[in-house]
Amino acid sequence: MIGTLARMPATLRNVGNTQISSLIGLLILAAALVLTIQHVMQESANYFFQILVIGVADGAIYGLIALGYTMVYGIIELINFAHGDVFTLGAFISLAIFPIFGVVEGAAGFGYVIPLIATALITMLLCGLVNVTIERVAYRPLRHAPRLAPLITAIGMSSILEGAMYLWRGPFNLHYPDLLPSNVLTLGGVSIGAKDLIVVGIAVIMAVALTLFIDLSKLGKAMRATAQDRDAAQLMGIDINRTIAATFFIGAVLAAAGGIIWGLYINNVDAFLGFETGLIAFTAAVFGGIGNIPGAALGGLLIGVIAAFNNGYFDSSWTEIIIFGILIATLVFRPTGLLGMRVPEK
Amino acid sequence: MVRARGLAVLISAMFVAFACGGTTGGGGSKGEIDIASELPTSGNETSSGLPTQQGAAFAISSLASGTYHGFTIKFVPFDDAVNGAHDPQKGVQNVQAMIANSKVLGMVGPFNSSVAKAEIPVANQAPLVMISPSNTNECLTQALDYCQQADGFTAASLRPSGKNNYFRVAAADTFQGPAMADFAYKAAPGGLGITKVAVWDDEETFGAGVAGNFVKEWTKLGGTVVDRKSYDPKSKSDFHDFLASALNKGAQGIYVGATSPTKGCIARGEMTAAQAATIFYLGPDGDGDAQCIKDAGANANDHMYATQGVADATQNPSAKSIVAAYSAAYPGASNIGAYTFAGYDCAAIILDGIGRAIDANGGNMPSRQQVIDQVAKTTNFAGLTGVITFDPNGDPTHPTLQLQQVKAGAWTFVTQLSQGA
Repeated sequence: MIGTLARMPATLRNVGNTQISSLIGLLILAAALVLTIQHVMQESANYFFQILVIGVADGAIYGLIALGYTMVYGIIELINFAHGDVFTLGAFISLAIFPIFGVVEGAAGFGYVIPLIATALITMLLCGLVNVTIERVAYRPLRHAPRLAPLITAIGMSSILEGAMYLWRGPFNLHYPDLLPSNVLTLGGVSIGAKDLIVVGIAVIMAVALTLFIDLSKLGKAMRATAQDRDAAQLMGIDINRTIAATFFIGAVLAAAGGIIWGLYINNVDAFLGFETGLIAFTAAVFGGIGNIPGAALGGLLIGVIAAFNNGYFDSSWTEIIIFGILIATLVFRPTGLLGMRVPEK
Repeated sequence: MVRARGLAVLISAMFVAFACGGTTGGGGSKGEIDIASELPTSGNETSSGLPTQQGAAFAISSLASGTYHGFTIKFVPFDDAVNGAHDPQKGVQNVQAMIANSKVLGMVGPFNSSVAKAEIPVANQAPLVMISPSNTNECLTQALDYCQQADGFTAASLRPSGKNNYFRVAAADTFQGPAMADFAYKAAPGGLGITKVAVWDDEETFGAGVAGNFVKEWTKLGGTVVDRKSYDPKSKSDFHDFLASALNKGAQGIYVGATSPTKGCIARGEMTAAQAATIFYLGPDGDGDAQCIKDAGANANDHMYATQGVADATQNPSAKSIVAAYSAAYPGASNIGAYTFAGYDCAAIILDGIGRAIDANGGNMPSRQQVIDQVAKTTNFAGLTGVITFDPNGDPTHPTLQLQQVKAGAWTFVTQLSQGA
């Protein structure tokens, strides 16, 4: 199957309740849709598209982070809680590299494209190495330990990364240079920021590139094989440790890209950004079907859009309740997620 | 910087020594009365606490040189900083030391609301009058329905004797929101002349409270709140949706019930250049700092306003000569903090109260309760930071704030805003 890394563990499934729970889920969904349409009709179409674009842009970033969660889960069934902090680290490292290339805010233009890409590549490489190191130090020695052990070291790693970033730059909000053009394009009466389009474009390119890589490359094939059956893959001559390390590296590359895009879009980062953002991205991964790559991208997109619509049309205080409500509802009613049903049979 | 501070300490110490030496030698004194200060004056807090202490010391040395109503007045400074940060326990120990010294009839301080919360009950039982230059927590003085839940105390629970001994010259947080609302609604010049605002807060006691007070005043004036949101700053970094929503509903300005650490000025940074050029961005003192300007990035322009806790005495024409005299005694910019002249006013009000208490007591040493009674009667006292009258809660009846605006990348004085003016 395209881009699918792993099957869902049977423990998360609850086949018996599927029909009733699906019905309840559908009813809630229908009620939410009717209510949303009602509110949307009260405002202008222009506003609707603005909110939609904002939601898609946020969702694209959540999707990039969710890809890393889902790849790691797919291959070693571990929720890498440090992943959200690798995302923050991406923003922090790029922020430190900008001055080396003479990138400063204000004089934005095409002259910054090459330094920006160079910064992004170095940042992705460094974040990849950090994540591979984390795997080597905190997860690999525990690969055959009870499932809870690597989960705890993952939380520990998350705290260590946050602490290190706090020591590095302090507790303050850090301003991230505003380098993307702030032009507003008007298409048929609907105004869309160039910034939003760039963010979505980069995220889509990265997600497609990842999918192609996993489907077509030799390493991608090894990753899929390892995800399906680690022992069999090993017997076939696949270097398991190398494959898992590669998975962590690629996940971190995407998270670092997410961190840079976040910085460019929001223009602000802080040391503890990754915790909550990581949880939201994790929700997106579960929502889309954990272990499933197109699922993570779709989940991220939907979570971003749902959050933006709730903030734009309803009471923003409910946003977190809704997002984490989705996490719980997905796990209870549809543990395989939206696209998770497309898993390979063993 | 460090050397300048060291020099300042030396000078203030000399002043105190000089004041004492000069008066005791003068003869004819009926005895000594001490006025204490209780401020954080070391470590990280030196830059805020020490200039305030100097303001108080300067008030006593200049207003009570020689004898004052027949008594020698001595200034006794205390420091409540432990390891460089203000400490409520240390503050309580200082207050206990003051109470044990029967010559101490009044105290200037404390600086921080958290220290006040610990000290008021102790001083209340002595009883010892305290006047704070800088406490802004409204629950220290006012009986509001959310105090017990939000802050864990009420004005009554801090006063076991049932009588009030605590006063302040700073405006309570309940005034900042309305003051900004009045300014924004008032027609230009002298105001912004806008009628539609969007408001968001950070879901914290201070932020949600100050935003709520802004909204109350705004609707009372006849303005429209087009959008009202609350966000948890831990998960909210993307304000694009809020901005789209606010502007879609025609907001001319945005009021932020948040501080810089709770992302108060990040929404400003996310505006487009075109939005930032026309939309006003208004906030409380928690936004009026350098971090806010950094967060706003290229959008930190003259459409950003913030209120600050007390008035700017250097803008008060009648305070000019005293401010000049202080600057001569304590030269250098680091010796003038935001609360230096509020510290002066606190000491001057205690001194004034002691003077009237001496007179009322037939020229004899007054009791501490007599001093409290006279301070409570303070009416139209011409302070450097404004004309001060205390209400029964101990708050100034017409507190004055200063309004600041971003100009050339820094917060600069615009005007004073007085409540009830």
